[in-house]
Amino acid sequence: MKTLKQLVDKLFKDVPESEEKRVIKQEILENLEEKVQDLMAQGKEEEDAINKAIIEFGDVDEIKQELMQKTFPPKKNMSKVNLGFSIWGSLLIISLFVFANFYYTPKEIWFVYPTFVVLWWPLSMLFIWLRSR
Amino acid sequence: MVKSWEGKIIRSDIIRGHLDSIILRLILEKDRYGYEISKEISVRTNDRFRIKEATLYAVFQRLNRKELIESYYGSITHGSKRKYYRITPLGKAYLHEIAKEWQETKEIIDLFMEGL
Repeated sequence: MKTLKQLVDKLFKDVPESEEKRVIKQEILENLEEKVQDLMAQGKEEEDAINKAIIEFGDVDEIKQELMQKTFPPKKNMSKVNLGFSIWGSLLIISLFVFANFYYTPKEIWFVYPTFVVLWWPLSMLFIWLRSR
Repeated sequence: MVKSWEGKIIRSDIIRGHLDSIILRLILEKDRYGYEISKEISVRTNDRFRIKEATLYAVFQRLNRKELIESYYGSITHGSKRKYYRITPLGKAYLHEIAKEWQETKEIIDLFMEGL
């Protein structure tokens, strides 16, 4: 049954090629063929039977979603690492400001201003981490 | 698709939430292949519920990924090998758990739905 094969090909045309895709297409095609034969045994014309099988097939997006999930495993939660990195990073930057401040202009305290700017980084990471818990 | 008592087609979100268990149950009884399962569902429910093939294969993928079922190729029929599914020990345990949970749920909902 060539037309069924074309229809299954069309259903899956925007799914990236993979061994899994090939296997599932094969499985679906076989089961559809059997369904069509069943419908024909009940007295339907071949064309009607194929149409019915295709209409009843439903929304192929469901299968696509499952296939995609397999190829892209859920992202690991990195927020704790990000938070740690931001804390250490901002401490380093702030200490650079403190050093520059007291080394070059000890009479004028200005390191507080860039410190406030840098603190947004670990602060935002902290809230991302809190939300992900 | 589910036909309500009026014969209208209603949304079947509640059944959809239990498709995994329905399919696991059918595979628990014996190893089955895709079309056999969708046919069996229609027969048992007297055509009141029909599973769409797309949904069925999505469920297979999901159950397979969770290692609740596994597949193998049966002997040759119609010139090609059928892909059969079999339940894993994990799948059996899961199904029993879900069945217990469903009993609970049913009792609770019945408290409010009965006698109307």
